[in-house]
Amino acid sequence: MDAIRRVNVFIIIGLTFLLHTVALAKDINFEATVDRNKVGLGQTLQLELTFDGTQNMPALELPAIEGFQARYLGPSTRMSIINGQASSSITHVYTLLPVKKGTFKIGPFKFEHNGDKYSSNSINLEVAEEAKLSEDKPSQEGQLETKDLNERIFLRMQVGKDKVYLNEVLPVTIKLFVNRLGVRDIQYPQFSHDGFSIGEFGQPRQYQETLGGINYDIIEFNTTIFGLEPGEFRLGPANLQCNLIVKKQNRRQAPASSEDFFNSDVFDNFFGGYQTYPLSLKSADIPITILPLPEENKPAGFSGALGFFDFEATVNPLEVKVGDPVTLKATVRGQGNFNTVNLSTVSLGNDFKAYEPQVKQEKETKTFEQVLIPLNTNIKEIPAISFSFFNTRTGQYETITRGPFPVKIVRPEKEEGLKVVESKQPAVPSLKEEKLGKDIIYIKDNPGELRKKGDYLYKNKIFLGFQVIPLLVYLFIVVVHARNRKLKTDIKYARQFLAPRKARVGIRRANSYLEKGSVQEFYDTLFETLQEYLGDKFHLPSKGITISVIDEQLKNRGISEEILAKLKDIFLECDMVRYAASQLTKENMQNSLKKLEEAIDYLQRDKV
Amino acid sequence: MNKRILAKLVGFGLLFFVAIFNPCSSFAQGAGLTTANQFFYQGNSAYKEGKYDTAIDSYEKVASLGLESGNLYYNLGNSYFKKGELGKAVLNYERALFFIPNDSDSKSNHEYTLSFLNSGPQSFGNWFERFANRFFEEVTVNFLTILLSVVYLITILALIRNLFFDGAKRSIKILPLVLIPLFILSAVSLSRKIIYLNKGAIVISKEADVKFEPITGATTYFKLTEGSKVEILERADSWYKIKRPDGKIGWVDKTNLESLFGRPGYR
Repeated sequence: MDAIRRVNVFIIIGLTFLLHTVALAKDINFEATVDRNKVGLGQTLQLELTFDGTQNMPALELPAIEGFQARYLGPSTRMSIINGQASSSITHVYTLLPVKKGTFKIGPFKFEHNGDKYSSNSINLEVAEEAKLSEDKPSQEGQLETKDLNERIFLRMQVGKDKVYLNEVLPVTIKLFVNRLGVRDIQYPQFSHDGFSIGEFGQPRQYQETLGGINYDIIEFNTTIFGLEPGEFRLGPANLQCNLIVKKQNRRQAPASSEDFFNSDVFDNFFGGYQTYPLSLKSADIPITILPLPEENKPAGFSGALGFFDFEATVNPLEVKVGDPVTLKATVRGQGNFNTVNLSTVSLGNDFKAYEPQVKQEKETKTFEQVLIPLNTNIKEIPAISFSFFNTRTGQYETITRGPFPVKIVRPEKEEGLKVVESKQPAVPSLKEEKLGKDIIYIKDNPGELRKKGDYLYKNKIFLGFQVIPLLVYLFIVVVHARNRKLKTDIKYARQFLAPRKARVGIRRANSYLEKGSVQEFYDTLFETLQEYLGDKFHLPSKGITISVIDEQLKNRGISEEILAKLKDIFLECDMVRYAASQLTKENMQNSLKKLEEAIDYLQRDKV
Repeated sequence: MNKRILAKLVGFGLLFFVAIFNPCSSFAQGAGLTTANQFFYQGNSAYKEGKYDTAIDSYEKVASLGLESGNLYYNLGNSYFKKGELGKAVLNYERALFFIPNDSDSKSNHEYTLSFLNSGPQSFGNWFERFANRFFEEVTVNFLTILLSVVYLITILALIRNLFFDGAKRSIKILPLVLIPLFILSAVSLSRKIIYLNKGAIVISKEADVKFEPITGATTYFKLTEGSKVEILERADSWYKIKRPDGKIGWVDKTNLESLFGRPGYR
């Protein structure tokens, strides 16, 4: 399926192409041009036969031309795309050598190809004597001779007609003709225009035109003028400034021999061989008569519109409520001076509220849009509107009237008083800059907060003192925190740290038993305290502390014998109590307690 | 245990806040203040009558009682402006702005006076100090001092909290990232303000020659125009060693300058 469709597409495309070429064949234009139409005996001229619209055209055999010998030089093809439109052409170039003097007419050339017949224009040629022409011709190409130049580059000004009415728009065309010359820096032409108002020049057009058998490149400038007062005037002459590109003085006409060729300065030809030559061109001036507008039959509403116009008007919508807008749209279409096109104002009476019309001007139309607001239901129509102008073709005034336009005005749905809705225009703020004087602002009427001079918080010693406190607090907390953490995590440290505190509590309890005289409890407490203290201090199991353990564990820790003896005594006494409590006096108890305190003191102080 | 410590800390913090929000700035009491107010209103009425010299005298009397306020300096500035002593006007507006830095009247008049002297606002310090100052342009020295102190306190509280709550929320860990730049900026700005407060001076003569040496015949290094700001670096007899905002240093006759707040014997 797909393949078939694709083939179909190809066939269609192919057919289109075929048809296209057929169409092209019919549009072929055949033209003959020469590079100059004055030639001296012994000089040659070029004949170009151009087929526009094709490139498939063989060279034609030139028929015998009276007074000339022809030789075929070759074809040249050209292809150009302008605004998306492709055009192609082929030019066959021949040299013609005049054999006798006189005036000749060559052509029209006839040619038949593929069954189509072509016929060209004819050209007039003048052959002069060699001597005479050599005077005309510039002896050297670098020098531009005015006579020759005038035929190769010139300016022409044209206007549509020579009699116009006041305010009538008249097109002006200024053409620059150039034949085989390099021109650049072409400026817009200027012309004197007393009694006229001129518009702006549009984009210049560029094309080719044949004049008297010579092919010219044309640059066309277009503008419009209109007369400002009646009378006889002369338009122009137009002036145009441009630069000619001419070859620098060159001894070599043609490279006759290789020697000449090498003698010539090639680089000069390439880089410095051309120079610009400022040229001012002047056209002829044109007499123009400006006619006043006839006074007779002048319509009342005439506002100076000239030309040829048509006029239309519409109303939308045709049915509205009171207070709603109706748009009246009037369009003037045609040719002429739109600057002076104006509508005669319509008298609307008190039935409408009318806004200023919105005007839109284009090249060939001018639109007026007016918003009307009907104020009551008695309105049946919008009055007729008319447009008057002076028809420059007929020389008569004309008035076109449209309307009246029937409309239906209905009461608004709600029974409310007549209300005209103003189109809400944004409140335009005054854009003017405030131009006010500048001066100092008035004094303060109260003294404000009066303070002692130079009294700043940063100098205040109490304030500064306070600043130290948070830091100290922080440091304190850091230390405490670190210790607490160690007590929690390091059991050995915790036992050692807490040992003296526990011992102090035990001693206090023992003291109270001492005072009560309860011997048994006293020694029990004493024994427990000592056991616990030594266990915590040396990180040993407390219950297992006995005299033998003390001997084993404490001797090699460098504890003095004296203290060891004291500790042993306490243990012995504690043991004794169990068997002979009555033998121990209060004095013994005090001694034991003292010994214990001394031993703990020693162990704490000496940091064993 | 921890909670007790925290509670103590909060209590302590509150005490601290009470201490700083009751600035120990001793207000002028009783009779002194009344007299000062009287002088002030006398100055105002003289100003209204266009007697600017009398007004200045009255305002200066308030100052001679050892009291000052933004409004007082502002009115003094206005009086000097009306009298045509623009340098002194600038001096007093600068003083006023230390007390009422966001007062639009003072700023407007200050700028207006400077425009007469063809000079714009200038500022001292390196780029970082100027950057820091931009944040605290409209803040008094005392406010900045309190702010700095509060930021410092909060930083310490945050640190303490971090001690007790090891796995603290992320917000608590981010807090120092906000506090530390704020602390640095406010500290830099405050130090800059204090330096200008103590060393700042304004040129009150039409033009002053700043010389290479503190000698009358010494070569002129550069010139100062009325209303320009300088910092006084050193004082020697009748000469001040000054620094211009652009960093140029030279000696100038002391009659050309008037200190903002610095004591005449300041060193």
